Amino acid sequence: MVSDSIPKVSIPIASSNPKDFAKKKRANRSAKLKQSKLDARREQYLSQVKNKGLKEEPNTGGTHGSAKNVANERERLIEKLQIKPIGEEDNEGSLNHYSDFDSPTSHTSSVLGGNDSGTNFTGSSRGSSSSSSSGGCCSGSVSEEDEEAEDDCLDDWEAVADALAATDKKQEQQNPSLDSHFERNENMAHMSSRQEVSERQGSGIDRSKQECNDRGLTPRPPLSCRAWRPDDTFRPSGLPNLSKQHSFPMNSERHCRRDSVWGCKTLATPMLCPICCEDLDYTDTSFLPCSCGFRLCLFCHKKILEEDGRCPGCRKQYNQEAVEREATIDGGRLTIRLARSCSMISRS
Amino acid sequence: MQASRARLFKEYKEVQREKTADPDIQLVCDDSNIFKWTALVKGPSETPYDGGVFQLAFSVPEQYPLQPPQVRFLTKIFHPNVHFKTGEICLDILKNAWSPAWTLQSVCRAIIALMAHPEADSPLNCDSGNLLRSGDIRGYQSMARMYTRLAAMPKKG
Repeated sequence: MVSDSIPKVSIPIASSNPKDFAKKKRANRSAKLKQSKLDARREQYLSQVKNKGLKEEPNTGGTHGSAKNVANERERLIEKLQIKPIGEEDNEGSLNHYSDFDSPTSHTSSVLGGNDSGTNFTGSSRGSSSSSSSGGCCSGSVSEEDEEAEDDCLDDWEAVADALAATDKKQEQQNPSLDSHFERNENMAHMSSRQEVSERQGSGIDRSKQECNDRGLTPRPPLSCRAWRPDDTFRPSGLPNLSKQHSFPMNSERHCRRDSVWGCKTLATPMLCPICCEDLDYTDTSFLPCSCGFRLCLFCHKKILEEDGRCPGCRKQYNQEAVEREATIDGGRLTIRLARSCSMISRS
Repeated sequence: MQASRARLFKEYKEVQREKTADPDIQLVCDDSNIFKWTALVKGPSETPYDGGVFQLAFSVPEQYPLQPPQVRFLTKIFHPNVHFKTGEICLDILKNAWSPAWTLQSVCRAIIALMAHPEADSPLNCDSGNLLRSGDIRGYQSMARMYTRLAAMPKKG
């Protein structure tokens, strides 16, 4: 959802930006900023919830039997959320800085602040920045940032603010339930909102998962952490088939085996054509053109037929008909043929 | 073309492997051209060519082995079936009796056999043929031995 809204938003940024230079880059940058900002806010929010949960646990643990379980689950989920790729750390650092800049005017920051019941607005934000590992403090992130990036972000200040407002509006439109949660949470007492908190967290996690998927990060399978098995019924058909990948080496293996079989077979019969020294294939080895038993490949046989048509082994004229007939040929024709060849020799 | 190359290469390997198999024949391929070969054959014993070493030049056509190789004596030889000046050999297996099953090695053997059994009825060297046909075996043998000593033997001193 979040990532879906980004391209839509980036278009008005690009058009509304009065500076023509590096428009695209800025648009990208602002989109990234927005993304990371949203991440940071979510983290902030979650850490707040975590703090709250930790705070509340000793108070309410005795009254509600499921409180501990809920808290544990929450912690686990938060841990999952906080595992982020290292490459985003920088963004997170910078975005905290941005969000601090934004906070006076930004729409969402007020929502975020408000969701912690208003009383400890500053305290919660401070607590979140200190509690979240990736949050970092403002000064640290400012000092760590290179100047160019800072300049860029300062130049793009208006655009970023616009973009943020736009995304937040969009998000509000798209996630009315989430915002309603927030509002309700504001009104409700802490003790009674436990269930909803867990619900909200669930939705937040879903959002994060979706984001992860949209950003092309490794998606976490919803049911188990194991990869799909080839015989899994729920396995997406779009995934590449492992057996197909294995097919090449398997084929080559089979090929080798077959070759060895052929080698064994060809050991019995002459392997090479005595004329052209090429390998005799199965057709050639079963080809017996002359009764003398001289074997040769079909190519050479054809060439010889085109030239003088005599068997290289016995120098008799090849019979154009089947080989079996040559065995039963009458002696007269054979002698006539021999005589003809002899006459040719004597003539030359 | 390709078939002839493959065939000649196989013959070359065969020659390298059986170098000492036939001590009377030494078949050498040209370094740069597999279609050019030279052979050194020993004159067969109990003939006027005994003790001589005769050099043969092979020129293999691209249609080989369907076409026979062209062979001629580089060493002068007095033989009824060898042209005295050009070294051309009149041998049926080098003409129409050629079989693709023959090899350069077998051609050399056939030439040795021809030296041992001259065929006076189809002479290229008329003097030699006439001597044999007139029955002057001694004249033929002495002439042949003389030329062998002159041309096919290492000069003494």
